[in-house]
Amino acid sequence: MKLLDMTLKYGNATHDYPFSPYAVPEGFRGKPEYEYDLCIGCTACAVACPSNAMNVELNEAKDKLVWEFDCGRCIYCGRCDEVCPTGAIRLGQNFETAVRFNKEDLIETGELELEHCLKCNKAFTTKKLIAYCVQNFLKVGWTQEVIDEKTKYIQTCPECKKHDAAGLITDYKGARR
Amino acid sequence: MKGDKFINKLKEKITVKDVSRMPEEQITITVDRADLPEAVRMLYYDMGGWLSTMVPNDERAINGNYVLYYAISMEGGKMTPEDELPPEDKCWITVKAYIPAHDPTYPSVTCKVPAAVWYEREAYDMFGLVAVGLPDPRRLMLSDDWPDGLYPLRKDAMEYNYRPDPVDHADEPDYDFMHPEGSGTLDIPLGPLHITSDEPGHFRLYCDGDTIIDADYRLFYQHRGMEKLAENRMSYDQMAFLAERVCGICGYAHATACIEAAERAIDMEIPRRAQAIRIINQEIERLHSHMLNIGLACEVTGNINAFMHIFRIREYSMELAQLVSGGRKTYGNVVVGGMRRDISAKETKRGLELLDIMETQIKEVWEAVMEDDSQVSRWKGVGILDRQVARDFSAVGPNIRGSGFKRDTRYDHPYDFHDAIDFKVIVEDGGDVFARETVRYGELLQTISIIRQCFELMPSGSIVINHSKRIIPNAFALANNEAPRGENIHWIQHGNAHKVNRWRCRAATYNNWPSLRYQFRGNTIADAALIVCSMDPCYSCTDRTTLIDVKTGKSKILSHDELKRYAQTLKNHPMKNM
Ligand code: SF4
Ligand code: SF4
Repeated sequence: MKLLDMTLKYGNATHDYPFSPYAVPEGFRGKPEYEYDLCIGCTACAVACPSNAMNVELNEAKDKLVWEFDCGRCIYCGRCDEVCPTGAIRLGQNFETAVRFNKEDLIETGELELEHCLKCNKAFTTKKLIAYCVQNFLKVGWTQEVIDEKTKYIQTCPECKKHDAAGLITDYKGARR
Repeated sequence: MKGDKFINKLKEKITVKDVSRMPEEQITITVDRADLPEAVRMLYYDMGGWLSTMVPNDERAINGNYVLYYAISMEGGKMTPEDELPPEDKCWITVKAYIPAHDPTYPSVTCKVPAAVWYEREAYDMFGLVAVGLPDPRRLMLSDDWPDGLYPLRKDAMEYNYRPDPVDHADEPDYDFMHPEGSGTLDIPLGPLHITSDEPGHFRLYCDGDTIIDADYRLFYQHRGMEKLAENRMSYDQMAFLAERVCGICGYAHATACIEAAERAIDMEIPRRAQAIRIINQEIERLHSHMLNIGLACEVTGNINAFMHIFRIREYSMELAQLVSGGRKTYGNVVVGGMRRDISAKETKRGLELLDIMETQIKEVWEAVMEDDSQVSRWKGVGILDRQVARDFSAVGPNIRGSGFKRDTRYDHPYDFHDAIDFKVIVEDGGDVFARETVRYGELLQTISIIRQCFELMPSGSIVINHSKRIIPNAFALANNEAPRGENIHWIQHGNAHKVNRWRCRAATYNNWPSLRYQFRGNTIADAALIVCSMDPCYSCTDRTTLIDVKTGKSKILSHDELKRYAQTLKNHPMKNM
């Protein structure tokens, strides 16, 4: 009997959801929201993601870098949000992630243009990443000359850089001899 | 030093080759494998130890051997109130023994300490280490059609993602269930899905008329090989998120235990504020888990009304979790060296309000349930966990506290912020379902008070340490915490390159399963589901039950609904038409 009294006392415990929205607290970790325009393809999110929900890889033709997010694997931990340098990925408040019949619908992608190495012309990173770095150079207050030099440096792929560095060392040793 | 007392006593009978401490209260002693059973028995029965975990390990790459670690929690036998060690003597003693790779056998400890039975069965499944004399050498974890001679956790056995081809159903070997002697018992398989928790596990109940005379069960249908996965390809940053997925209810406790084991192995202290937040999250988990269990214990006996009310109140605890951790479960917050998410003053204020609401309403609903005689009578005297059985099998959590043991790892081996907090260990004497549910109710109120204290006493400051410590390869430690179902133990041995070499996760229920058989005996079929429920099992899920009549030898498979309806209404006995 007491239980019935309680039912009367507390009344309706259910929410109107899904007929009216369900409010979540401010710090709620919902589905990661991707802002394509901000993404520079740095792959930080893919490295950080513990469940491999985010991947950044070259496409089959190897002419584009593809950012891909599979919501079905996401555990809403927010590591991607934490590491993204540009704020392209932010956890939102959305928890309604069901899809009908097709798991592919859970996948989101973004394609990014590739930058080619000044030396060997191999594609090695995205244009936007280089642009992002250059923009940051401007903030440091270097002279145009330094900036140009550094820009050239970052437009070289890691292999060529290694090569160059090895060359420098050999030159140096040679000079000593 | 701590623990010397025990070691000296041990030395009277046994050669102790090596003693090391890391951290301070975790002592590792090395003995010859022939001395293993006696050493464990002395610590366990003569000096008041409990088996916390046993870790088999493949250290062939390090020292050419397999190694067994029996971790024993020294806290006193607790059979009487006086029989308990003073806080300054409580510690862990890990008995370590090398098993040569060319002869992977050791004398079984189970003959002397029954609590080791599951651990030794697992050591065979996973590493192929043979416990000579083990009374029950059947497979425990691996499925019946798993290839012989493939021991997954051996470092050179397989990749973590290797999946042997499934064997055709007709060729699948049968699992050898234990069978009671004598004629005229009725065999009742319960499973593969359990009635209250909808989780897999296959039970066989042997009945004489309506009374269960014995039981056997087969679990681990959902063994996922997480330990192998973590050892193979995870970094510590990822491991916490994996450890969380050990369980859908008390995963947070697993994540903290896992990370704390990694921290303790290199003696890393985390900021006090982070410690307090860890405790808050863990206790929130206890709130919703205990309410879930009390609710289900009502539902299984047909009290749907109480079940609904308890779940309504439970929603507040979920809201609290959302508030302080950003998710309905408190997941995703622990990292090595501290926490990822701080709690703001505004959140604290709302949190305290929620606690008040829960406290009043939990009391209200419990009072109503207690007044309901038909409910209370279904719980009383059912599924008694005998004190000696509990002692022998090192049971944990509300399960053992309902049998009058003051055993709570928050109290025996305080961790994190617990040294600053006042709380009472709730103990009941009945040993039945009623006692266990009463313990849970008492703990709900304690938990609310713990969270309140944490909110109030939480020091300000940072929630993560500065990176300065480095992982030390091969350093190991265990970490404990009191999950809603009892003590969770994680054991970690560091490897190279900031990765884990061996991770052993022991969930609370692992220590409770072996004694369940004894809890079943003498009860009726209608109570079987309730008994399992009151243990609050953690097996990732069983939908059928086989009944076997000992008298006629007939058996019958019950569907989930049939058994559930019978448990709730006690009408239409399942064996009526056999
Ligand atoms: S929220 Fe976590 S799991 Fe989801 S994509 Fe980001 S990092 Fe990966
Ligand atoms: S910019 Fe952000 S979203 Fe894009 S690849 Fe880098 S971390 Fe990921």
